[in-house]
Amino acid sequence: MAVAAAAKVQEVREITRIERIGAHSHIRGLGLNDSLEARNVSQGMVGQMSARRAAGIVLQMVKEGRIAGRAVLLAGQPGTGKTAIANALASSLGADTPFTSMAGSEIFSLEMSKTEALTQAIRKSIGVRIKEESEIIEGEVVEVQIERPATGEGNKVGKLILKTTDMETVYDLGGKMIDSILKEKVQSGDVITIDKATGKITRLGRSFTRARDYDATGQQTRFVQCPEGELQKRKEVVHTVTLHEIDVINSRTHGFLALFSGDTGEIKPEVREQINGKVAEWREEGKAEIIPGVLFIDEVHMLDIECFSYLNRALENEMAPIVMMATNRGVTRIRGTNYKSPHGIPLDLLDRLIIVPTTPYEEKELKEILSIRCEEEDCQLSDDALTVLTKIALETSLRYGIQLITTSSLISRKRKAPEVEVEDIKRAYELFFDEGRSVQFLKEYQQEFMFNESSVSDDADMDIN
Amino acid sequence: MDDRWFECVKSAEKSALVQGNTKKVHYHFENGREMVEEYNLDTNVLSRRAWKINNEMGGEGDWDIEVGDPMPAGLKASNDLISEDANSPFITRRVTKRNLEWRIRNLPYPVDIYSVTADEEGRCITVRTSNKKYFKKIDVPELRRCKLLPEQDKITFNHKFNTLIITYAKPTELVEMEKAIYEMVKEVQPQRMASGCPDVNECKPS
Repeated sequence: MAVAAAAKVQEVREITRIERIGAHSHIRGLGLNDSLEARNVSQGMVGQMSARRAAGIVLQMVKEGRIAGRAVLLAGQPGTGKTAIANALASSLGADTPFTSMAGSEIFSLEMSKTEALTQAIRKSIGVRIKEESEIIEGEVVEVQIERPATGEGNKVGKLILKTTDMETVYDLGGKMIDSILKEKVQSGDVITIDKATGKITRLGRSFTRARDYDATGQQTRFVQCPEGELQKRKEVVHTVTLHEIDVINSRTHGFLALFSGDTGEIKPEVREQINGKVAEWREEGKAEIIPGVLFIDEVHMLDIECFSYLNRALENEMAPIVMMATNRGVTRIRGTNYKSPHGIPLDLLDRLIIVPTTPYEEKELKEILSIRCEEEDCQLSDDALTVLTKIALETSLRYGIQLITTSSLISRKRKAPEVEVEDIKRAYELFFDEGRSVQFLKEYQQEFMFNESSVSDDADMDIN
Repeated sequence: MDDRWFECVKSAEKSALVQGNTKKVHYHFENGREMVEEYNLDTNVLSRRAWKINNEMGGEGDWDIEVGDPMPAGLKASNDLISEDANSPFITRRVTKRNLEWRIRNLPYPVDIYSVTADEEGRCITVRTSNKKYFKKIDVPELRRCKLLPEQDKITFNHKFNTLIITYAKPTELVEMEKAIYEMVKEVQPQRMASGCPDVNECKPS
């Protein structure tokens, strides 16, 4: 009994893990019309018209793919939608164009040098579309069995039974494969193909024999014939790999496994040179096509002077991607020096950037964003509550306003109300301090906290570096 | 007899090694492909032939076993993705003096379930099961190299110990070609170790 209950809890967790709501999960695109003009509210984006239009032009530049090594800087106060614009750009790029997102602080690692980390990020943002013969499994799913060990720990085991009109085979699934099968929600009756080398699953549709299983199938459900002949075929498939992936495959003998374990380490420059030569050769033969992507570096002021000077040079390479950076700093110290510079970026690099400013949201826009977030977080707000919440967001910050949505909704649920009312927002506002009130509180009760003797004068040292 | 394959083998860069009663021959073809053959010196019959798979992306390629037992699963790098269940059918090839043989192991169904036909159009031998559990198109590279089509009356099959054994009688053209190639293989001098030992295994490290 207890075991069954535990299993159930596990299952619920499994599902929520896949569909969680992130800070930017309401964003589906840049919300532009065909002439790249920003629509006021579209695809989850609100306001910031000129910045979005600029991003649209960058998108056009990426899609044409002719210009290499341009850099764009999104500059604006915290909570003005810089990361949102970058995410929107990523989702409008399409699946084949590589988009690498990293935070400036990510490159500081003990395992590889800063420039190596940057090089890897840059090479992750260049795709190569290549035709390759690959082993494909194509068939109709008879059954998916995924079992967790009774203790709840250890590896999951899974089996997948596939068939064609002529044969049937049982496959063992590895951990990665189980995850992607759960993610793709593969179920019996689906006709799928699996790339044996990469494990990529493509859903072709549902088998005709299952057409009458459900009354309510989605509009998009496509019905296909069960495949014939052998389950495993060799097929020529076109796929996109990044330069970094090719580097890793060639960097050691059992290379491509390292991609899964994430243990890639540093890659020798000779290997990279060799790959560049090979890719250029493929390109001349018409075997491969280069797809330059986008590298997004958030919090770019966290990079130091060495990284900036490296970027200067890296951007001049004709294989360089479009680099997008975002920062919320004004004139500040460049990390690793004592010089001050706008956005914490040296002037020579700034000169190579095109700068897109984002501006604080107006009250109307805040209201729109909050109502989009309410929908995303599945909370019902009354009109009054939304107005109050907008006021709060205007006076404190948009992020704090968004934090109050789910918290106040939980409060309203406690009193079994269908909607969130003003009083719920008030209650949440009292329970959770925003940054301003917290500072106020600290100022008043400073004396009673620990280590209060230390002066606040070494504020400057707490800044970066 | 078509000469293309013969010429190909003739012009390939060859090196050989003798270990016990097997002679291992490595071929480096002009188009960059690599092949390894193992001959039993007692019977002069091929016991193993494998092709190196050249990966387009680079990196260390695997071996594609054409004749002989497949590589044991433990030696293969598993990539934690998807693989056939251990109890699922797998095919191995064997060559004897007069026949080409295939053994499909882990097939538990009785013999009357199977049908093995020569598919002239697809230049292969097709195995079907009437219970729709197994299906396989078997490519016959030897026939392809001789530019011959598979013939139905050369095929026989039986079922024993969970295994379907398919036998295809070698056509005379193939026998002659293999003889000619073996004459060539005989001429390849086995490499000696630096110490002059003819066999790697006989060398006793001091």
